[in-house]
Amino acid sequence: MDRDNIVWKVAGAAGEGIMSTGLLFSKTCARHGWYIFDYTEYPSLITGGHNTYQVHAAKHPVFSQNLNVDVLAAINKDGLDFHLEELAANSVVLYDGQDDSINISEYRIKGKAIDLPMVELARDVGGKELMGNNVALGASIYLFGLDLNLLEEVISDVFGDKGKEVVDLNKKAASIGFQYMAQKTRPILKVEKQPDVKHLTLTGNEAVCLGALAGGLQFYAAYPMTPSSSVLHYLAACAKKTPTQIVVKHAEDEISAANMACGAAFAGTRAMVGTSGGGFCYMVEALGLCGVAELPVVFFEAMRPGPALGLPTWTAQGDLNFVLSASHGEFPRFVLAPGDAQEAFDIAKKSMELAEKYQTPVILLSDKYLAESRHTFKLDQTVFQNARFGLDFNPQIDDSGFYPRYELTDTGISKRSIPGFGWGPHLANSYTHTKYGLSSEESSDRKNQVDKRFRKMDLMTGEIPPQFWDVDLDAKITFISFGSTKGSLLAAKQILKKDNIPVSILNLSWLWPFPKDQVKKVIESSRNVVVIEGNYLGQLAGLIAQETGVMIKERYHRFDGRPFYPEEIVTFVKNFKA
Amino acid sequence: MQELVQTKKEVYPYNPTWCPGCGDFAIWASIKKGIEGTGSPREKIAIFYDVGCSGDMADFLAYWGFHTLHGRALPTAVGAKLANHDLKVVIVIGDGGCYGEGGTHFLNLMRGNHDITVIVHNNHRYSLTTGQMSPTTDKGTKTKSTPEGSVEEPLNPIAISLTNHASFVAREFAPDIPRLAQRITEGIGHIGFSIIDVLQPCPVFNPVQNHEWYRQRMVKLEELGHNPNDRKAAWNQVMRDDDKLPIGLFFQESKPAYHEQVSELSQSPLVNHSIETVNLSALIKEFE
Ligand SMILES: Cc1ncc(C[n+]2csc(CCOP(=O)(O)OP(=O)(O)O)c2C)c(N)n1
Repeated sequence: MDRDNIVWKVAGAAGEGIMSTGLLFSKTCARHGWYIFDYTEYPSLITGGHNTYQVHAAKHPVFSQNLNVDVLAAINKDGLDFHLEELAANSVVLYDGQDDSINISEYRIKGKAIDLPMVELARDVGGKELMGNNVALGASIYLFGLDLNLLEEVISDVFGDKGKEVVDLNKKAASIGFQYMAQKTRPILKVEKQPDVKHLTLTGNEAVCLGALAGGLQFYAAYPMTPSSSVLHYLAACAKKTPTQIVVKHAEDEISAANMACGAAFAGTRAMVGTSGGGFCYMVEALGLCGVAELPVVFFEAMRPGPALGLPTWTAQGDLNFVLSASHGEFPRFVLAPGDAQEAFDIAKKSMELAEKYQTPVILLSDKYLAESRHTFKLDQTVFQNARFGLDFNPQIDDSGFYPRYELTDTGISKRSIPGFGWGPHLANSYTHTKYGLSSEESSDRKNQVDKRFRKMDLMTGEIPPQFWDVDLDAKITFISFGSTKGSLLAAKQILKKDNIPVSILNLSWLWPFPKDQVKKVIESSRNVVVIEGNYLGQLAGLIAQETGVMIKERYHRFDGRPFYPEEIVTFVKNFKA
Repeated sequence: MQELVQTKKEVYPYNPTWCPGCGDFAIWASIKKGIEGTGSPREKIAIFYDVGCSGDMADFLAYWGFHTLHGRALPTAVGAKLANHDLKVVIVIGDGGCYGEGGTHFLNLMRGNHDITVIVHNNHRYSLTTGQMSPTTDKGTKTKSTPEGSVEEPLNPIAISLTNHASFVAREFAPDIPRLAQRITEGIGHIGFSIIDVLQPCPVFNPVQNHEWYRQRMVKLEELGHNPNDRKAAWNQVMRDDDKLPIGLFFQESKPAYHEQVSELSQSPLVNHSIETVNLSALIKEFE
C-alpha cells in the first residue's frame, strides 16, 4: 500500500470511551506531522447508542470525512453491522472473536477481518472491559505503521491530570494491542513522521473559543444545547487560564443568557452568547433589543436539524433563513458562517470587533459538522491586538443633562458613554427613542433613528472580504455553498482532480451583508452553477435569487442530518448533465 | 449634594404619565431619595427598568438607565453588574414582569445572591396593558382577562424569597415615602440580592386595594418586635393566620455576593481589564 492518506474508524457503544479513543488516534497522526480531519457521530444518549469516530489523516491537507475506511476497529457487534458498506478490498476490520454475539462466518466482509481479543488482552494488563478500546487503538497504530512512542506521548498529555495509574494502564493496553498485532500480521502502511511539522488540531467550536478570546471576549453566557455546549465547557474551564479576564455564566435559560449579554455589552465589555437553533428561538427578542439599543453582542448559533428538538447530535444548515430575519422589526446585522476551523478562528475574532465597531449584533453561524469535527490548524502568532471602537470615557452631556448616545451621524455610528465612567447618562432603550435614548413616539424620532441605524449598512458592506473562491477556468460545474460544506467540496475536488474533472467552488462565509457583487461575477463567469446546501428548501439559493436576481435551478440538497460526503459529490459531478 | 437632574422637560415633552393617584409617583420619589441616601456618586448608579407603568419611570430619572425587555430587567442588570461590579444596580419592575414573565429569572438570580436591588411595584395587576390579572392577584378577582374571577391562588413573593435564599427581603407601602426611601437606601447598601416588594395602589385597575384597604391591614414589623435575622420568625409573619399585612424588613443575612465568589473578578471589575493585547500561548499546548 503506497498511500499518503489513511482513514480509520472506531465504532462501538456510546459512553464506552469511543470519543477519547478517537482523539488519541487523531492526535497521534497530527504528531506525525500529518494533516487530520476527524468527525464523530453519536446519538443523543449518554450510554447505549451507537457511536463512531472517524479520523482521516494525510500528508497533504484534508478537508472531510470519507465514506471508505482503511481500518475499522469494531468494538462491538454494531460496530461491524453498521459499517460493512464502508470497507473496500484492502481494508482491515478488527473485531473481538470472543464476543459471543459475533459469528464472523455469517459476514461477507470486503477486505480482511482480524480477530483481536480486545477485552481479554485489556484484562491481562489489569484493565477493565472498556480498555478494550485502547487495545484496538494500539493494534490500529501498528497496522498503519505509526509510532507507538508518539501514541504514548499523547496518552500522557491527554490523561496526565487523571494520574499516573490511568496513564500507565492506557499505555499498557495500547501496547499489548500493538504487540499482539505484530505477531499476527504485517502493517498495511508505514506512516513516516514528517520532520519539523507541528500541527495543532482543534474542533470548530474550540476555534470559535480561541478566536473570540483573541478578539477580546470578556463575557460569555449560555444555556447548554448540543452542538454549542462545548463552547460553554471550554470557556468555563479556561476562564482561569486566560490572560484576559473573562466571566462565563451558565444562565437559567437562553433568554437570560442573551439579556445578560445585553447588560454586559451596555456596561462596556465584549460579550457573546452561544446556543443552537432551539435556544436561539428564545434569544430572538434580545437580538432585536441589540438592534434597537445598538448593543454589541455576538450570537453564536451552531445548527442542528430542526425544527423543535430535531436531531440533536446531527448536522444541518437549515437555520439560514431564520437567522437572517430573526426578530420582529428591522435593523442591521451581520450573519457570518465560517467554513472550517481556520475560518472559525478568524471570523470569531472578527465578530467581536465588528459588533463593537458597528454597535449591532453579529450572528456567528456554525453547525454540528463544523462544531465538533477536528481540523488541522495553523496559528502563526499567539499575541493579538484589539482596537477599541466608539467608547467615550470622557463623555460630555448637553443642555438636556443627558449624553447624546444615539446622535444622528453620517455613518450611522454614534459614540457610547459607559456607565461608571465620567458623567454621560443615557438610556439604552428597547422602545423607539430620541438621541438620548428617551422614549419617543414622534414620527421624526422614529424615522431618524431607523434611518441612522440602517446608514451603518454602507460601511458594513464595505467590510465584506473576498469570499473563498477556488476557481478552475475549465470547470464544468461551479458549486456555491456556505459554511461547513466547504470541506466536503474541497475533498471532492481533490478526488475529481485525479480524474481530470475540474470544478470551481465559491464558499460563502459572509451571508449578511451579502457579497452580492462577488456572487454575481461568479455566476456570470460560470458554465453551470449548482447551489449545494444542507437543507430542504434551498435557503442559500433563495438568498442568492433575492440579492442578485438570478434564480439558480441546479441544486444539491441534503437534510438527513449527515454531512455531504465527498464521494457522493464526485458521483453527482460525474452524472451531471447540463 | 448632587443634583438630581430633572431637566427632562427640555428633551421629553411631558412629565410622568402615570394616572392621578398612582402609587408609582410615590415610588419614584422614594427611589430618588433612597439613592441620594446611599451617598453613592451618581455615575456609579445604573437603573434597569422593566416594561410596564412602573418601567415608564425610565424616562423620568436622570441616571444611566436601561429600559429592558418585558420580564428581563433582572438578567440584564446581572449582566451589567458582572461586567462592572463597581456599579450600584437598581431594578424597577412590576409584579407582572418580576413574578410572571420573568419569574424564572427572579427564582434563579435570587439563589445566586447577585448584588442587585429589586424594587417591585406590586399593584396586583398588569396595568400598562390595561388591567389584566397578575401573578399576585387574589383568587376570584374579576379582571379584564378573568371576567368570572381568577382561578389561580396568588403568588407570595415574600415567602418565596425567604425560602429561596434571598439575603434581603422587605415589603413596604408606596405612599409612605420616607419609610420606603429609607428601605431602598438599605437595600442598595446591602451586598447581595435585595428584594423590596412595594404595595402599590392602582386606583384605575385595582380600586379595591386602595389606601384605606391597606391601612386597615398593615402592621409594622418593628412594632411587632420582629428580629430580621430570624428566618423562621419572618416566615411566621408572612404566613399569618389573620388578615394583617406586615410591612418592613422581614429578613437580612450577610453572605458573599455572586461577583465576590467569581475568582476572575477578585482584582478589578471586568470592564477595567484591557483587551488591547491578548496572549493565547498558554492555551495552545492542549491542541498539539
Ligand atoms: C414579551 C412581551 N409580552 C407582553 C408585553 C406587553 N406588556 C407590557 S407591560 C405588561 C405587563 C405589565 O404589568 P406589570 O409588570 O405588573 O407592570 P405595571 O404596568 O403593572 O407596572 C405586558 C403584558 C410586552 N411588552 N412584551
